[in-house]
Amino acid sequence: MSRRAPLDYEINNLLTNNSYSFSRVFKDLPLFVSLCTVLGFGLFMLYSASGQSIGMVSRQLIYIILGLFFMLLVAQLRPESYKNILMNSYWFGLLLLAYVLINPADGYATNRWIDLGFFNFQPSEIIRLLLPLSLVAYLCRRESRPRMSDWFITTIAAFICFYLVSRQPDLGSGLIVFVSGLIPIFLAGLPYRIILGYLVGLAIVAPYVWSNLLLEYQRQRVLTLLNPEADPLGTGWNINQSQTAIGSGGLTGKGYLSGTQSQLDFIPESHSDFIFSVIAEELGLIGILAMFLLYGFIIWRVFRISYQSETNFERITCSSLGFIFLLYILINVLMVIGIIPVVGVPLPLISQGGTSIVVHLLAFGVILSMKKIYR
Amino acid sequence: MRTDRDLTNNVNDLRRLKRRSSFLFFFVFLLIVIGLSKIIELTVLDRQEYFTESEKNRIINVPIYPARGLIKLSNGEIIAENIVTHDLLIKKSLVDQSSTEINDLLRILLEPGLEVQSNASQITNSSDELIVISRLSSEQLAKYQINKEKWPFVELKTQLRRFLPHKNVFSHAVGHLGEVTKEDNRQSQGISYRPGSYLGKVGLEKKYESAMRGKGGVSVVEVDVFGNKIREIERILPERPLNIFLSLNLKLQTLARQELSGRKGAIIAIDPNTGFIKALVSSPDYNPNILNKAENGFLYPNEKQKDAPLFNRAISGSYPPASTIKPFLGLLGLEERAIDVTTIIKDEGVFQINDEGRKYRSWKEEGHGEVNLHKAIVESSDVYFYELAFKLTVDKISNFLSLFTFGKNTGIDLINESSSILPDRNWKLGSIGEPWFVGDTVNMGIGQGYITVTPLQLASSVSAIATKGKIFKPKLVERLGDQDIEPELLFSIELNKKENWETIEKSMIAVINSWNGTAHNLYKEGGLKIAGKTGTAQIKSLVDQELTVQEEYEGIREIEKNRDHALFVSYGPLPNPNLTVVVIVENGESGSSIAAPIAMKLMEQYQKEILADV
Repeated sequence: MSRRAPLDYEINNLLTNNSYSFSRVFKDLPLFVSLCTVLGFGLFMLYSASGQSIGMVSRQLIYIILGLFFMLLVAQLRPESYKNILMNSYWFGLLLLAYVLINPADGYATNRWIDLGFFNFQPSEIIRLLLPLSLVAYLCRRESRPRMSDWFITTIAAFICFYLVSRQPDLGSGLIVFVSGLIPIFLAGLPYRIILGYLVGLAIVAPYVWSNLLLEYQRQRVLTLLNPEADPLGTGWNINQSQTAIGSGGLTGKGYLSGTQSQLDFIPESHSDFIFSVIAEELGLIGILAMFLLYGFIIWRVFRISYQSETNFERITCSSLGFIFLLYILINVLMVIGIIPVVGVPLPLISQGGTSIVVHLLAFGVILSMKKIYR
Repeated sequence: MRTDRDLTNNVNDLRRLKRRSSFLFFFVFLLIVIGLSKIIELTVLDRQEYFTESEKNRIINVPIYPARGLIKLSNGEIIAENIVTHDLLIKKSLVDQSSTEINDLLRILLEPGLEVQSNASQITNSSDELIVISRLSSEQLAKYQINKEKWPFVELKTQLRRFLPHKNVFSHAVGHLGEVTKEDNRQSQGISYRPGSYLGKVGLEKKYESAMRGKGGVSVVEVDVFGNKIREIERILPERPLNIFLSLNLKLQTLARQELSGRKGAIIAIDPNTGFIKALVSSPDYNPNILNKAENGFLYPNEKQKDAPLFNRAISGSYPPASTIKPFLGLLGLEERAIDVTTIIKDEGVFQINDEGRKYRSWKEEGHGEVNLHKAIVESSDVYFYELAFKLTVDKISNFLSLFTFGKNTGIDLINESSSILPDRNWKLGSIGEPWFVGDTVNMGIGQGYITVTPLQLASSVSAIATKGKIFKPKLVERLGDQDIEPELLFSIELNKKENWETIEKSMIAVINSWNGTAHNLYKEGGLKIAGKTGTAQIKSLVDQELTVQEEYEGIREIEKNRDHALFVSYGPLPNPNLTVVVIVENGESGSSIAAPIAMKLMEQYQKEILADV
């Protein structure tokens, strides 16, 4: 690591044009630039996916600017200074989740939203970030390695979040929150014998959950996935249309603004969860691979920061956030191409949605704050 | 301050993190491989399939149906056209929920004075739509438009319907349309009718269905997921349907129908020189507009039901030719030299094959005395033709008559034409299961027994006498689109002695012109010179050998449907005949007093029409 550090420093210096304060603000300029590229690309595709709605694009732009601002703000903090706040933010997250269950916002079928009047947001989106961060902070609160009880406490803390989110009811988000919580626990060194115990327990509990706790539509979603063609106008319709869009795009795509599936509204939620289908239809396989490369570059930068960090807290936080970012991309893409059930996960940094953008950028703020600047 | 131990710990921690990360990356890698292979499968391997699918999504073909071709007379008079009708429909499933609104609707639209009744039971069989009110009047339409927000569940459907301005007059020639059935779609090669569409079911409407239907076009339209039309990509224009022009004459047709009104029967008037039909009437008739759903009301009056108004007697009715067959037999007799014009037979009212045999009686009790061929036709001597038929034998009679289209289809451009029966030995053995008796031949001599004719076929046969042996295929359509339809010669009969035509024609003229002719009642000083022959077809056999014919018939005619049919065949005016008229009046009893005057009127009317045309 340290062997490559001076080189990095030089590159940074080169990019920042020898401006010391510039590299301090952006911390990791390649990461910042690639984030902005993805965000710009997202706006570009959102214009097409929204049926060329300037209104939707400008709203998204406002969230992006807001998100970038807070990201850079957080990036300036020293990780030690907010470690304790993070640890306790878990309770804030629980409060939000409890609030939506008790006070559902009007106008939505499920209790996922909090309406602040000027701004609606989904607590489950926030808990996706808060839970892993608070768990890492908790596990790394001491210099020494976590105790046995810490593993159970963190697992239970993650499970509570899972339970509350899945009661909204939103099983998909619940599972994602749960996995977001398990990743840092695992990375922090959860002993393998405990993992084995968890797996055994899961095998025993799973059949009961399937038949008793899952709602009919949740079961249906899982079953639809197994054979979407069987039911082209029912629950599998979305996936069929999405696959048609992706497949018909071919290698080079039908051209920007020329995707018939997207422009004629055959793709459901084309501006949010299914924006990937629009990209695939209009820009083709080549467009998708370019986007993946960009994502890959971002993830590489994140893990680079992680491995260069000096404390466990920083390392595990960065790695966890990197994995969670990766997880979201994977879940969204696998869902849109029809490999996993439809769960409400937007494509990070590209899909329309204020909460998602701001939360992801905040996560990158945390990552950037852990970047070591060599002087 | 960091110690060495801290440093070691740190290195260990980093190693563990990397190890565990690699573990997770392994899963991530697996998922990426799965995802990428699926994406490549979609975009590269199955691309064509999905592209086709996406094109199917956005592009729909909307058929364009051209309005049906018109039926006109050659002078341009419209016989069948397409009119716009407005119906109010409701989904069957909604009927119960909205019964109060429907009542409200009916109350407002169906105020007294408007003739439409509630046809709530009228269900189109193609869909679950129920016609609440069919064929709105313009007044009703206006009322509906004003109040339509009140009845959101009711749908206004505007469509073209087939309308015959002359209603019943052309019903049996033109026919009617009906909703498409599965059977129709099976029979129509290539063309598939969409459910609920109408097509010709009978008459010219059916015969010329494909010409008048034209060929549907297609509008290729891009739609969004809701089916909203975005733009038209391509339009294949429909093939224009053809209008058809009939040879029928409006005044003649109207007159013929009027003359038969209240009776059962048929009239055919045909130009013997071309085969083009000038009048085709079958009575009773019906109003095709009702079946075409272009008009409200009754198809025919209820009491006509038993007389089968939908049955086209003119081309499908089977009648004994009775005495109208006599000129043909006379012709055969001359041809075969079985008789000549001087041959005399003593007619005492009865014919017997041998002394003990059955007595074949004449319609005239006391007989006609000494008769030659001329007198036999003019006075319609039965005994003369009994004897002639007996001499000729059935084989010769059948062979000869078949030259005149007896027993055949004429091939008129209508559907459902029946062939008449021309019996011979084989026919009887096959159909009745008995050998031919001489008595059957004798009966055939006066056109009774097994032999039947259809009015159309009889008209063709008579035309052959008028043209001295030429039979043209009867046709109703003179012009199809821009194309004139040429007369079609079916048969040309060559006689050994051409003068025989004149001999028979003279006798047929004398049927009207000479004082003893059976249709002398038609004779007018300076009137048209026409040739004709009366016929009175028995329906009920006279079996009682003790009673006289007159006495026995008195008993039979008590029941109307047993009364004799009245026939009259004629052509004229001589020497250049331009019209053959066959009139058959069921249960009309007298060919001379009932059927013949009708024929004469038509003949006179037609001459006026021809003069008017010129």
